[in-house]
Amino acid sequence: MKDWLSRYGPSLLVFVVLLAAWEFATTNGYLKPYRFPAPSKIAMGFVEIASEGFPEDLTIWVHTRTTVGRILQGYIAAVGLAIPLGFLIGAFSTLEKLTAPLIIFGRSIATLSLLPLVIVWFGTGELTKVVLIGYGCFWTMISNVIAGVKYVDPVLIRAARTFGVSGPALFWRVILPAALPRIFAGARMALGVGFMVIVGAEMIGTVEGLGALIMEARNFYRSEITIIGMLVIGIIGFLIASGLLHLEKMLIPWDTGLDEVRR
Amino acid sequence: MSTDAGFIELNDINMRFGLPAEALPVVLQGIDLSIAQNEFVSIVGRSGCGKTTLLNIVAGLVEATTGTVTIAGNQVRGPGQGQGVVFQQHALFPWLTAMGNVEFGCRKADISKSEKREVCRQLLDLVGLSHAADKYPRELSGGMQQRVAIARALALDPEILLMDEPFGALDELTRIELQQELLRVWDARKKTVIFVTHSITEALILSDRVILLSPHPGRVFKDYQITLPRPRIRTDPAFNAMYQEIWEGLSA
Ligand SMILES: Nc1ncnc2c1ncn2[C@@H]1O[C@H](COP(=O)(O)OP(=O)(O)O)[C@@H](O)[C@H]1O
Ligand SMILES: [Mg+2]
Repeated sequence: MKDWLSRYGPSLLVFVVLLAAWEFATTNGYLKPYRFPAPSKIAMGFVEIASEGFPEDLTIWVHTRTTVGRILQGYIAAVGLAIPLGFLIGAFSTLEKLTAPLIIFGRSIATLSLLPLVIVWFGTGELTKVVLIGYGCFWTMISNVIAGVKYVDPVLIRAARTFGVSGPALFWRVILPAALPRIFAGARMALGVGFMVIVGAEMIGTVEGLGALIMEARNFYRSEITIIGMLVIGIIGFLIASGLLHLEKMLIPWDTGLDEVRR
Repeated sequence: MSTDAGFIELNDINMRFGLPAEALPVVLQGIDLSIAQNEFVSIVGRSGCGKTTLLNIVAGLVEATTGTVTIAGNQVRGPGQGQGVVFQQHALFPWLTAMGNVEFGCRKADISKSEKREVCRQLLDLVGLSHAADKYPRELSGGMQQRVAIARALALDPEILLMDEPFGALDELTRIELQQELLRVWDARKKTVIFVTHSITEALILSDRVILLSPHPGRVFKDYQITLPRPRIRTDPAFNAMYQEIWEGLSA
């Protein structure tokens, strides 16, 4: 407890002071309440949206569940597709040469610029949202899987060959574990992309989901609700990323990369 | 197989990387070598003269442009014909513990898991690392990593140990320690060793024979039999005389 206090105490204090200053400034007219809703207003908004919902009956919990569901569907589909494809492309250099321009091309198209086309193809229902999220996640993921496989240290492959390990065994016993750290890094980045795309993906054809909530709140001049939507997206993004990081530590305990970054 | 042929025979090895049309420089030219069983041979030469390439050819990891390598009369067509390799960088698998790495090297299909574990434990013991069996490579010092790499190569139970500047990246004290260790292992397990180094002292401490490669293209330039009694002493006048002779050969 004491450790905790000395470590987080100062930054917590800064945070509290900022909040207090903000509250003071809005309630005393230094800041426009519509532009900068006071912390107390945000808290009240939260109580409202947690119990009654906004719009009517759609509580923050419903929005969150919907959004997490959409992100996970798109994300898991993208990762599930990118891993085998990436392995295939990374393992065969001719395939890699053939697909490299396509991958750079696909990655360069901002996901949300596809929105009009995707609506034409898939309508304005759930599928459109999941496809957009999946599209964004896919390119980030596949680029990393390919790089992970392609840049396996050749000396490790050489060492394995001296023990007569080749073919599928070489893949399972050397290339896959050697590529894992990079694949996990890709999985974390791809998740980030999923969260970046969500607000745009939920702009059309729905009032459900955190992205939709943010846009809807704007129509009603409820900027405190926009802020709540942002905060919740940030929090669940943080939670899911932490879970992934945990999984990573468990699955690749030999990797030092994480410790170096976190130090 | 003729009766006077060595255990390892290199017959007119020529090596040039890439396609003939690329006309890259010749790396190795007309290498003929005959190495006896249990012989400890060092290959010394300047950086870039083709030592690693030569070792890789004997290991079966790289195919010579022309020429053949035979081991006990059988032509080398790939790895796994009794060649254990220790690389310049330890080349340990970072996702396996020291024990896991040694077990990776143990390819015997006819023994049980527990027997296998026992064989590997003995090997770690042999290189003085039984206490570090569960450590990952990144948790080991450079010297310990190279010890694990040696144990891993030995797990294959190879007749031949091919070592490419294995101690080149270590500090001098660790290096001397590992040279002693290697000699002990060589004594205990009777292997034929081809050891690449650019240190004349190291070659003299270890070898029955020192082969000098000349650069561009790599050719066998000198072949010294080292008859100094073992253990070799660095400050011994005969040792120094030999050092001088090889140094002059290298500078020629
Ligand atoms: N895979 C390769 N492709 C083209 N050239 C190579 C390759 N490997 C080594 N060489 C060349 O062969 C020569 C000898 O290299 P190497 O055997 O590594 O020398 P050493 O181990 O004695 O330093 C060098 O000039 C190097 O550039
Ligand atoms: Mg070399």
